[in-house]
Amino acid sequence: MADNAELESFRREWREEVSRRSKPRSQPTPQSTQSTAPAPPPAAPAPPRLPPYHEAIHRKDLEEEGEVEEEEDGPPPAAFDPDGLAQRVGELSMNSRKKVEEDIFARGEEEEPNSALEHFERAVEKEAAGNLGDSLQHYRKAYRLDSAVDKSYRNKHYSHVWKKPAQPPPSESAAVPVTAPAPTAAADADTENLSTAELIASFAHLPIPQAEPLVENTPPPPCPIAKVPSEVLIEILRHVAVRDPATFGRMALVCKQFAYHFVHQQSIWKHLCQQPEFGFEGMHYAFSCDTLGQPIYTLSGERYTPFPEGAPLEIPKPLSSWSQVFQSYPRIRFTGIYISTVNYMRPGAASVFQTTSWNSPIHIVTYYRYLRFYPDGSVVSLLTTTEPVDVVPHISKENMMAARAIKKGGHHLRASEISKAQPGTADYVPPVAMEALKYCLRGRWRLTPPVPLEDGFEEAEFPLRPGQKPTSTDPRDLVIETEGPASHYIYMMRMSLRSPTPSKSHVNPSKNTKLVWQGFWSYNTITDDIGEFSHRNDRAFVFRRVRGWGLR
Amino acid sequence: MATPQITLTSSDGVDVTVERTVAERSVLIKNMLEDLGDSGEAIPIPNVNEAVLRKVIEWCEHHKNDPPTAGDEDDNRRKTSDIEEWDQKFMQVDQEMLFEIILAANYLDIKALLDVGCKTVANMIKGKSPEEIRKTFNIQNDFTPEEEDQIRRENEWAEE
Repeated sequence: MADNAELESFRREWREEVSRRSKPRSQPTPQSTQSTAPAPPPAAPAPPRLPPYHEAIHRKDLEEEGEVEEEEDGPPPAAFDPDGLAQRVGELSMNSRKKVEEDIFARGEEEEPNSALEHFERAVEKEAAGNLGDSLQHYRKAYRLDSAVDKSYRNKHYSHVWKKPAQPPPSESAAVPVTAPAPTAAADADTENLSTAELIASFAHLPIPQAEPLVENTPPPPCPIAKVPSEVLIEILRHVAVRDPATFGRMALVCKQFAYHFVHQQSIWKHLCQQPEFGFEGMHYAFSCDTLGQPIYTLSGERYTPFPEGAPLEIPKPLSSWSQVFQSYPRIRFTGIYISTVNYMRPGAASVFQTTSWNSPIHIVTYYRYLRFYPDGSVVSLLTTTEPVDVVPHISKENMMAARAIKKGGHHLRASEISKAQPGTADYVPPVAMEALKYCLRGRWRLTPPVPLEDGFEEAEFPLRPGQKPTSTDPRDLVIETEGPASHYIYMMRMSLRSPTPSKSHVNPSKNTKLVWQGFWSYNTITDDIGEFSHRNDRAFVFRRVRGWGLR
Repeated sequence: MATPQITLTSSDGVDVTVERTVAERSVLIKNMLEDLGDSGEAIPIPNVNEAVLRKVIEWCEHHKNDPPTAGDEDDNRRKTSDIEEWDQKFMQVDQEMLFEIILAANYLDIKALLDVGCKTVANMIKGKSPEEIRKTFNIQNDFTPEEEDQIRRENEWAEE
């Protein structure tokens, strides 16, 4: 148990370390640790069991173990790590956190690396972002400049792990406001013995704790929320939940009282399940628009939803609570982007000028597929080599149509379009994104209803649905149809929602955030031909939240 | 004919005169008047001080012509997260007053006002980190680091 706690504290340090490192260089990385405490303390079991560990190495391990499927599913790059974010907020100012969150899909100032170490750092960054080609180049340069660069990298970033395993580096402890005394190992063992459910149940009647006065012996700052009765508090929480379930989740970390309500207010969870923005009311089990996004009107009017309001409901087995339903029942997220990063190697021809070359070059090609879903049943699909930071924040139906207008209208229109919005404003789309957005495809999506629907008009539309079992009732199966390269073509994608496998740093990741390929076809509506695309390079889509999407 | 007036006495002993129809936005006062009949005597509101009472009455004045809330409408109101513009301005008060209004609305049983108050608070919370929420409301972190970590890991799925 004590070991476990130690492991946890190490992980926490590590996350802080990594996330700090991945921020802009305004903050110096502590190197002072190297000079302290040369001999490792005798009672330190952590270092041998926990070798220096970073995203890239970890993912390589996974691959070697044959889990190639999971390649993109390692823990997300450090800068995006919500854990790390939340963790660091404890000791750093809130501004820096906000900055990191905003920067998820924004490109910062990039300086060309000079030293071997800088190249190595850049390589790790690129690798974490899935861009193996660039990553490899930087690794090569780094090793060419210094063959022992990996050692200096480890010394720089992880030295405190083996030099001073039990304590955070000095620079960090200076930044930590003294909030709670460090608990003893015995206390650790006690809390670890409680399961989370028991732990939270023990919070039931705790008051909301008021902040301490800023200056001693002065009245504490007012904390009016502490006086609010719990039924009103629950009402507030409900409003938070329908605005943004993620914030609702963070509320659980504010204080014990909120944590209790988060787990035990099933009415809020039920409400979340039923409403359209995040819940299942927003899921489509039959196409609700055509591939161009025009709504389909049906005579029956009633559309299927698994948890209709105003009807007696049963929690689907084997789930036992509404929070579990919200967590586990398959649903599409509208608050971000689904990204499939594909790397493949292609042998290149040796240059004619290099007559002596006896090794022909190999190109590593990286491309991305993006899917953004909308609650109205439409979807935007994009296949491009443009990196997420450049294009993701701009993927939307509006920008897609703007980009297409430019494509048709030629250059003068393009100039006027760009002058309309200036850099820095919210709707400014940089040219590199605009270029990529031209190739966005409109489409529609639906999940598979868990019970066969009476209305069979879907299936009547196309006589043959390749790969479709007529009896499929797996609600995790997703069907997407988009425009094709020409108006008489339709692309059909079939995918399945899957959950990422829990990892060391993500014990309880969001469920059903991966889209695994089942099949990909093109359909010629004139000749009624169906052609299948090869799956050779298809990677699963992974969901990433994008700031401001899908929220009210 | 002038609309009948009633008098409310705040917790700090100040009498406030108000139209009966306005005061009846409060289900508590409405029921009281129905049960007791209008005796012309001042109705004591022991939980609400003058400043808050006047603020609440200001809200009731503005909303006196709103249709009364029915059961199913209640659901609709819950669904929309928007706050109408006048209410947004009305709620631009300091945090203590905001929660006083919420408490008064809860006590006086004015559902629509309580709702506006809760939505306002929810908007203050939206998009913030736990630490930011604590700072906003002056809440102290009562978790041990271990508890915090345990709950964070447990609730990790809710982040996306």
